[in-house]
Amino acid sequence: MSSFAQTQNPASSAAFDARRAIKWFLIAVALVVFLIWLAPYGMAQKPGRLVESAIRGVLVGGVYALVALGIVIINKASGVFNFAHGYMMLAGGLIFHAFFSVAQVALIPAFLFSAFVVFMLVTLNGWRMLRDPRRLVIGAVGTALLTGVLMLPGQDWQLIRGFVGGGLGAAALGLAVERFTIRPLIGQPLFTAVMMTLAVGEVLHGLTQMVWGSVEIPLPVFDVLKRIGLPERLSIDGADTWLDVSRIVFNLELVVAFVLAVLAFIAFVLFFRFTNVGLAMRATAENQQLAQSVGLRVRVILAVAWAIAALLAAVAGIAQGGATSLSQNLPGLAFYAFPAVLLGGLESIGGAFVGGIVVGFVQEMSRRLFPGLQVDTELAPYLVLMLVLVIRPDGLFGQKRIERI
Amino acid sequence: MRKALLLVLLAVLIVVPVGAQEEGLPDFIKHTPCEVDLTGQTIPIYHLGDISASYAFITQPLLVGLTDAIAYYNARGGACGATFEQVNRDTAGDPAQSQAAYDDFSSREIKPDVLVLYASGDSELLRTQLAEDEIPVMISAGSVDGLYGENADEPGWVFASNPIYVDQFGDFCEFVAANPEMYPDPVIGYISWPGAFGEAAFQPESIAYCEAAGVDVLDTPEYFLPSATDISTNVQNLVDNGANILYTNSLASGPVIVAKTVVDLGLEDDVQVAGVNWALDTSVALLSRTAIGSDGLPAVNGLVGSLPFHWYSEPDHPGIQLVVSQFEANERQLSQRNISYLLGWALVDTYVELYAQAVNQAGSLEAVDGALMKSILETIDYYPLDLYHLNYPDGLRSTSANRMAMIRYANADMTGPATSGDDALKIDPGDGTTLFVPLLIPLEDFAPAPDLRPGQ
Repeated sequence: MSSFAQTQNPASSAAFDARRAIKWFLIAVALVVFLIWLAPYGMAQKPGRLVESAIRGVLVGGVYALVALGIVIINKASGVFNFAHGYMMLAGGLIFHAFFSVAQVALIPAFLFSAFVVFMLVTLNGWRMLRDPRRLVIGAVGTALLTGVLMLPGQDWQLIRGFVGGGLGAAALGLAVERFTIRPLIGQPLFTAVMMTLAVGEVLHGLTQMVWGSVEIPLPVFDVLKRIGLPERLSIDGADTWLDVSRIVFNLELVVAFVLAVLAFIAFVLFFRFTNVGLAMRATAENQQLAQSVGLRVRVILAVAWAIAALLAAVAGIAQGGATSLSQNLPGLAFYAFPAVLLGGLESIGGAFVGGIVVGFVQEMSRRLFPGLQVDTELAPYLVLMLVLVIRPDGLFGQKRIERI
Repeated sequence: MRKALLLVLLAVLIVVPVGAQEEGLPDFIKHTPCEVDLTGQTIPIYHLGDISASYAFITQPLLVGLTDAIAYYNARGGACGATFEQVNRDTAGDPAQSQAAYDDFSSREIKPDVLVLYASGDSELLRTQLAEDEIPVMISAGSVDGLYGENADEPGWVFASNPIYVDQFGDFCEFVAANPEMYPDPVIGYISWPGAFGEAAFQPESIAYCEAAGVDVLDTPEYFLPSATDISTNVQNLVDNGANILYTNSLASGPVIVAKTVVDLGLEDDVQVAGVNWALDTSVALLSRTAIGSDGLPAVNGLVGSLPFHWYSEPDHPGIQLVVSQFEANERQLSQRNISYLLGWALVDTYVELYAQAVNQAGSLEAVDGALMKSILETIDYYPLDLYHLNYPDGLRSTSANRMAMIRYANADMTGPATSGDDALKIDPGDGTTLFVPLLIPLEDFAPAPDLRPGQ
């Protein structure tokens, strides 16, 4: 936009540059003033505690990034901001729990679940796929195989059972949400779809309450990781060092969630950059009707995006549920991810990751520097978000929109 | 005619066994004798609050307890012959929904004579309206604002059946001061959920009371949300400032994450965890099974807090015997055997007593109203199921008897508390966890908690 303006009118371009220079100068001054104001609070802390909070903030931010990634995937593919993501996290975690926390799944529930999952996958491209005998055979074989896996008995298989059942269940949930609520709205105003996600969230809220109740459910998934030899916590000995603290400790839960977030980030960057589906998703996000007119299967792309987002939501739900418990409080975590998404830029995978880390970091540091003031939970991350949006309205890594008039 | 006779015979056959099954109440329950027969009438027990969000672990067993107790009392004559029914609304912890539910109840043609609330926030929200509508409220515990108003000088229409949170905190400090071998050089750090409930105990009066008793309380409290992923920094802040006791005014997962963080940070030998009466509950003890300490027992093992009523681990107590027998007869789950199930029973028993006194004074159920109920509550002297003492002298709006107790876990022989995970009684619930059987061990006898309302 600015280069276009430059070629058209050098005088207005110079004025624009001057305004921009003044703006950045003022921002730099404000930043310096802020740092000077903050310095005494930081100086009052031991170096080790600041390092600890910084690292913990990054690790907690990994959880937010994982949640934010799921929201961004949907937005990137369809332009819809998914307000149901928190409840998709809870539903995914509970489906995982249903397969993880039982000695053995009975035949009929395993079969019905498998049939539903396979049905949603086979009909990805529409109901007419059911007319294809080959797909039906594939579906039947898939159902039988999945039923067999889900019925593996004993605790030795609980992790496999949980991840297969939880992963596929979450994906099927995403497909169902897309099929029955979002797909009928293709071509309708985007706002309608956004409102639909609010409704989906409440429906999932009600359904999870109906099936699992409202009482908190412990999810001992990290106990399994400890059983296979992973340490319960990571510890840095800081005694007699510049850190000036006896030791710094980080939970296994946080480290695992962070590693998952990093892996998801790398996988999706590669997915969007190097796969046809990923590129098609980006095109679909730009303009669904145009994408459809050039032969892209918009419905399938949207379905895949919802399945992936639901899978990511389930992973975040399992990580958070394992660290605390599966409860109706869990969807509240999405409220931390919302500023992360907006901070990074609504359509940016990297932005979601960085946004999550920034929110986690800001929360932890404000908790450390301003104890007891309760600035960490809402005030600090949203203040940072406001500042970033004032400076960069599209977020740190968001795409600048150019509207043709 | 023959058909009518058959119908009458059938009705007799149905009614007679039901009537024959009706039993009396155990002798230890001593209600005021009824002078008015209310047979055939119904008394609604109105209650509203969060049964599906943060409080669910606590409040869902309350519904179960009320259901079982109502069935029990109704089968034994209810209140002067009238039967009880529950009328409740789930607010999911949302004040707007609390207001809507209250508006529904209070705008009915026949307003509630008494209302039951679960949350301090709701009692603060509705305090003025309750006074205007003349509807007294029964709540389990509460905040100064909810019970006495902003300036703590206007006892209102809300009556708590436990000592209020600020009094419980002061009582804990008294216990700490009296037990230096347990708590040498005590410094308390306050860590809780934000909001009316979580912040209710951290008041200038309780802090001053603790200081006067020789127990330091850190000036700066720490707050975390129920959805928090990690609270290590909150705990570390308090410990770095000298805290060796962490006191929490939270429930369910709240005390668990505090105790788990103490374990994670390797502070088990240096820091003890304590809390409000809700922290001393089955919900906390069961949720902690995924957070194990270095002794192999759940991290909340050793948590000390208020236990202002008798508990399941007192099997000789007649009230406990009754509740447990009905719990088992109704085949309830272990997670429901908690504080609220017990309080649900005590609440229905209180209703029987309140209505007996009220109809004796008013002459009929129709003539009973909120103002009369309030006057009865102000002068009541009753022991619901003998679990606690309901008494509000001198304008008090909460009970005062309290005692401290400790969460422990049963040993394999069920002869006492386990000393480590090795000798603990372990049950495999089939969900990949190990279930430890919680015990609440009273550490002292009942005694009045301090009255720490401002200006007292």
